[in-house]
Amino acid sequence: MASATVLSDRAGDAAPRMKAADPILVVEDIVKRFDTPDGALTAIDRVSFDVAPGEFLAVIGPSGCGKSTLFNVIGGLLDGYQGRVTVGGETVRGPHSAIGMVFQEESTFPWRTVIENVAFPLEIAGVAKAERLERARHFVALVGLAGFERRYPAELSGGMRQRVSMARTLASEPKILLMDEPFAALDEQTRLLLGDKVLQIQQELKQTTLLITHNITEAVQLSDRVLVMTYRPGRLKRVVSIDLPRPRTSQIVSSDAFGHYVAQIWSDLREEATRGMQDAEALSLHAGAAR
Amino acid sequence: MNAGRRWSALAAPALGLATFALAIVLIQGLIEAGRINRFIVPLPTQIAASFGRVIAEENVLGRFLLTAGEALAAGVLLTLVGIGLGVLLYRFRLLRLACETWVAALASAPLVLMYPLFLVIFGRSAMTMVMIGFVAALPPVILKTVEGLAGTRRVLIDVGRSFKLSQAQQFWKILFPAALPSMFVGIRLGLIFALINIVGVEFLINFGGLGQLINELAERYDLPGTYAAICFVVLVSVCFFAVTGCVERWLRPAD
Amino acid sequence: MAETGRLTRSPAFAAGNPVLLLRVGLIGAALAIWQAVSVSGLLFRDVVPSLAAIAGALGRLLLDAGFYGHLGTTGFEILVALVIGGLSGLVVGLALGGNRLLGKAFEPYLYYLGPTPKIIFFPVMIMWFGVGPGSKVAMGVISCFFPIALSTAAGMRQIDRVLIRVGRSFRANIWQMVSKIYLPAMREPIVNGVRLGLGVAVIGTLLAETKLSNKGVGFLVINSYSTFDMPRMYALLTVVFVIAIGVNALVSRFAAGRAQAKS
Repeated sequence: MASATVLSDRAGDAAPRMKAADPILVVEDIVKRFDTPDGALTAIDRVSFDVAPGEFLAVIGPSGCGKSTLFNVIGGLLDGYQGRVTVGGETVRGPHSAIGMVFQEESTFPWRTVIENVAFPLEIAGVAKAERLERARHFVALVGLAGFERRYPAELSGGMRQRVSMARTLASEPKILLMDEPFAALDEQTRLLLGDKVLQIQQELKQTTLLITHNITEAVQLSDRVLVMTYRPGRLKRVVSIDLPRPRTSQIVSSDAFGHYVAQIWSDLREEATRGMQDAEALSLHAGAAR
Repeated sequence: MNAGRRWSALAAPALGLATFALAIVLIQGLIEAGRINRFIVPLPTQIAASFGRVIAEENVLGRFLLTAGEALAAGVLLTLVGIGLGVLLYRFRLLRLACETWVAALASAPLVLMYPLFLVIFGRSAMTMVMIGFVAALPPVILKTVEGLAGTRRVLIDVGRSFKLSQAQQFWKILFPAALPSMFVGIRLGLIFALINIVGVEFLINFGGLGQLINELAERYDLPGTYAAICFVVLVSVCFFAVTGCVERWLRPAD
Repeated sequence: MAETGRLTRSPAFAAGNPVLLLRVGLIGAALAIWQAVSVSGLLFRDVVPSLAAIAGALGRLLLDAGFYGHLGTTGFEILVALVIGGLSGLVVGLALGGNRLLGKAFEPYLYYLGPTPKIIFFPVMIMWFGVGPGSKVAMGVISCFFPIALSTAAGMRQIDRVLIRVGRSFRANIWQMVSKIYLPAMREPIVNGVRLGLGVAVIGTLLAETKLSNKGVGFLVINSYSTFDMPRMYALLTVVFVIAIGVNALVSRFAAGRAQAKS
């Protein structure tokens, strides 16, 4: 049963904030513009939301909706925006120790073994060698890579490497796990299985997670709430509460309720994705004519 | 079918060797027939015979060690100074913008032509050779170091930033390891350049190890010996090139 | 994609003024240090002549008609070496790159013989070609043959296969294939090979001249050394470097310009 709160997508309306008890992450009225040769581009236009502790939130939108920009803003890698991001009351002004990031691209250190990769944040924090390897081992096992500690990333598959990246970020025990399409490069079946892994981890650690994705199945499978964004300029179009029971597994994808959620989100997304596609076609026509 | 594939894999090297052997036989025949002046090109059999003589009489091992030592010394200097300067250029962007093209230009300039200058400064000593090897081979090491550091994948730098690494940590834990493969390529290139220049200058100033051997034999009009020495030096150079190539491949398993 | 707003530590520089200033500054500092060392007498006399002495020698050099004769000799030797070595390298490269068996059989020889010091062949070149320009040209030829042949062979292998099939489908003969398909498609690797070849041909020729010659820039250099005319040596080295770097820059510009026109 879907309970959805429709947020206004008319330009100019302030999006009402989702009230949650003592939110751990607050994103307030973020507006981010870029200067391009063709003029100023508004990537994100007044996006606001809260994340409660232990919650799994997915942000979904078509390509070009500013999802990755939002990821970089919250993670503190981007500045020059209006609005505010606070973590546990503190304003984010650069990469914050309470926020852990998992990137979309291949980001393991090729010159370190799996265990050395995962121990990296502990090494930075100055933890002694024996202890940090021990703690890292726990996270390596958590993502299901026990036994692979001494291997190099080059010896692993793409999915395994992404798990290493995730374990590395988890090893820094962040209050908020921020992930930007970590499974984008993987095939569907691997994604579903890794989704299971993520559910397990989140269950065990009660980890607050914010997942940026373009994959509807993944969003519904993993999250408690799904924020649907519009095409550029990115705004929150709709918030969908996913009332599927926890603990979940990938089996859930075959249930009726699951199908309803997916259909609902798709009907919102489809409109935005179509606009995105038309834009892209217009752009290439324009580029072709200019030549 | 497997035997067929193995056969064709051998065909090419066999063709190469066979052509080479055929050429030698041809030359031997032409010289014996008087078509090629034997005072310009000695009989291949004579050359082969003089190998033993040259090795025994001319302290080839000692010379080899001397040349190798000079190359090694130049290599150490190259590594320390080349990587150091490369890091410096990378660290200070303005410096890099100003100087990188200069270094690239020097890489194509005939630096070795300065050898008379080094002769004056360092005298007829092994030091001259070491310094020439060092100076002539420095540009590629610097360029490859800068290239490796600058070519670090953006996402790895972002990982460092997301973990709030200090600048020093970012450099030593991310940039430097990421650039190591490129630095090794640069060092290998530098070593090869250094060896070429060292042997060349040994020949030119008639001092030192293997290069000097060739010059001496030539001045004594020991024709077969000269050819033999040249072959030997070429062999050493080829081995050096092949071995450093293997080491480089071993150090870069990911590629 | 615009990268404005990225949190980076180094501010964006407008290329031009700061770079120019730094370059001028660096050159100025180098000259100042040179002059200081020269005047202080730190190294024994004349190894570091004063800037004035070098400038004087440079002036005398450039005004000396004989110098241009030597420059011409060297230039001529290098040019002929490039033509002979370049053409033969091109032909061999085309053959080795175009035929798999030939390539596998003979290219390793080129690959491994490439990085050997060619100057050691000079005594043999003298015996074969005499003590005149012939042996110098020969040195230049064997120097530049290898990089050009190897670049060409590699370039042949990188040609998009479909272009070759197009040529064959129109039944082009071997000459047409070479001139209308292979060579135009390989412009970049060939130009790079020629650049490298130019560099090593210059080195090979000059070094040969220093060893045994009575003409040419190399001869002048070693002559300055034996008469211990250091200012003249520095002047000669300066001229050689300026020319070598200048020619290389020109060739690079040429290559870049053509590449830009293509896109």
